[in-house]
Amino acid sequence: MENALGISGPQAILMAITASFTVLGLVMLLAALFMGRRWKPSYAFEFGFIAVMVGLVFYADWSSNNTYTAYQENLNAEEKSLSGNYVGEGEDAFDRVITVIAFQWGFAFINEKDEISRNAAVVQAGDKVLFKIVSNDVIHGFNIPVAQITAEIDPDEKREMWIRAPDEPGKYLIQCVNYCGVGHAQMKAWLVVTDAGDTASLQGGETTNGA
Amino acid sequence: MAHETNTERMGNPAHWVPENLVGNMTLKELLFSNDYRHIALKGIFTSIIMLALGGFFALVFRVELAVPDVQMLGAKVYMTLMTLHGMVMVFGFLIPMVVSICYYLLPRVMGTNKLLWAGAAQWSYWILIVAAVLLVIGRPDFTWTAYAPMSFRTGNPLIWMGHLAIFLVAVSEFLAGAVLVRNALSGNFKWKSKPLIAWATGTVGLLFMASTLPLGFIGLGLLGDGLELTAFFDPSRGGSVKFFLYVFWTYGHPAVYLPFVPAIAIIYTIMPRFLGFPMWSYWSGVVAFILLAVGAMPIGPHHFQPLYTVSGGYERFVQFLTLLVFIPSVLHVFNWIATLFMKPIPASARRAIPFKFMVMSIAFIVYGGATAFLNAQIATDSDFIHNTYWIPAHFHAMFFGFVGQMAIAGFYYLYPYFTGRMFHQGMANAHFWLWQVGLFIKITAMGVAGYNYFPRWVYDYLDLPGWAIPQMFITIGGFLVGLGFLFFAFNLAWSARYGKPSDEDPWPVEHDEKAASAAVPAE
Repeated sequence: MENALGISGPQAILMAITASFTVLGLVMLLAALFMGRRWKPSYAFEFGFIAVMVGLVFYADWSSNNTYTAYQENLNAEEKSLSGNYVGEGEDAFDRVITVIAFQWGFAFINEKDEISRNAAVVQAGDKVLFKIVSNDVIHGFNIPVAQITAEIDPDEKREMWIRAPDEPGKYLIQCVNYCGVGHAQMKAWLVVTDAGDTASLQGGETTNGA
Repeated sequence: MAHETNTERMGNPAHWVPENLVGNMTLKELLFSNDYRHIALKGIFTSIIMLALGGFFALVFRVELAVPDVQMLGAKVYMTLMTLHGMVMVFGFLIPMVVSICYYLLPRVMGTNKLLWAGAAQWSYWILIVAAVLLVIGRPDFTWTAYAPMSFRTGNPLIWMGHLAIFLVAVSEFLAGAVLVRNALSGNFKWKSKPLIAWATGTVGLLFMASTLPLGFIGLGLLGDGLELTAFFDPSRGGSVKFFLYVFWTYGHPAVYLPFVPAIAIIYTIMPRFLGFPMWSYWSGVVAFILLAVGAMPIGPHHFQPLYTVSGGYERFVQFLTLLVFIPSVLHVFNWIATLFMKPIPASARRAIPFKFMVMSIAFIVYGGATAFLNAQIATDSDFIHNTYWIPAHFHAMFFGFVGQMAIAGFYYLYPYFTGRMFHQGMANAHFWLWQVGLFIKITAMGVAGYNYFPRWVYDYLDLPGWAIPQMFITIGGFLVGLGFLFFAFNLAWSARYGKPSDEDPWPVEHDEKAASAAVPAE
């Protein structure tokens, strides 16, 4: 997915590296316990090992930064616009701009037509969607598992997040991931993805057909 | 002989004449004596009671979470139990337990045979007891992070007790830190030959003292804001949530090293005892302790990285430092594995329960620590890591798999010294295996749930793919750990009276299989 940051994104190779040195550590521990042969590593060996680790630190920093910067550049394009709902051009264009109000406990989604929903953000399959998120009480989280992205919002800030909606129409979870009070577990909503032909309105297909 | 193998850089051996200290102790001595062993035992046994309490809370809410949709507790009770579980385990079990074990070891290793500034240790203990009582009465449900402004808008009239308890925890930990630093500086050692436990407690003691200042401010600030006397953190009255976040995590990140480093100190003290030869490297241990203490404070903001509060070049700076703080732990683990590799491991060590726990805690630090290399990266953190079950998987591996198990290893090591008797080997083995299996199942299932974006702090959840099955496994793992604890608790009570009397040296180094089975009770 275009906006993927981790699992299937460019960070996958780092996940593989991480998994392999976890296994390496456990294998070395087992070898130290059960191998018959004894071995006293030299200091040079430790320095070499640490050098490899420091190299990995630089690589992880570079890789993560590239991935995240590429994601953020889409938002920066939006910030350059003067006001209102940015439509953009070419690859920068957002198909949908949805304002999200996070509160104790739930989300309100306001689309371009000022239609408000308390439990669903309606978008079309494959849409590039911008969420403008605010919180009016405490720190909340905003996570869309299918889009593989998380944001947090503190009450003093407006925060933006974009996703590429899945190609498969259906209902996908939106959830708060920061503990925000006793109703936190109820703080969830749906990303409703309709067929690309439908007009994205709260009534979905009905509006198109009933007009 | 085991004792001669401690070089001058390891200090005196951690060895006492086994005696029935617990049985001969009066209640007055237990409560108020300034003898270092009495103070340490008081802390250790209180911590074990806290472990039982925190574990009981966890098992109750694990039942609630085992299957989706079935309600047993409700949100309020669940969140209260969850909050108390976190606070009791970290502030009541982990930190006091490893610190108390260091109180027991330090005077012996440093050769002073008394705990300097013992009065401060007493105050530290009793203030923590007051905090625990306040927590149980106040029943806060704001999780251990107590994020403002949520934490004073809970609708609970007793919530101020929770805020006051945070302040008292800060005072208690500050005093404990001062005691650790004072005792690390004691004894007749030159700087180049201070035992590693002194380097550990000295550096972490300073970290205790530095990091509890912001925590104390957080406690007082929340108390004042909640009573509407102040407005530090309440945005509706002119305060700032950002201010809260930076101040809190200036404590909150070093807080994870407060139990971590003393646990490492226990490894450096008892590993040479069991192996009969010194550590592979003295200086890589010293360097790692200093690096960890220096690196702990500035990286707190990685805990709230998905907020816009941390962004731009500063966000990358925090990411880079967080990745680098991995290095001191690599130095430690390298040192331990290299030490185990150097010479044949004595048959007596292989049978010794503390040694087994120590080896498995090294396995868990690798499991939980190496995978945490992903946690530090902004990209993966903004994907499936931040505040999903991936995080509890990480800190249960580090806090329980490593620190908790090292605390238990230290306890089993000291057991014959303060009861004069050896614990029952069979029951200890049952405890050991139940914990390894239970912990591994629990931590792995938490990681799987987190990978599937299961959010933290929910009492109920939808039956989405990949959510219900890991939750069931976490509950099963949790109950195995609970069963292991029952073996442990019964063993420590039963063996104190009926165990086999300990030899003069309960942990001799024997390479001969038969001699080993005479020294360490047969399996």
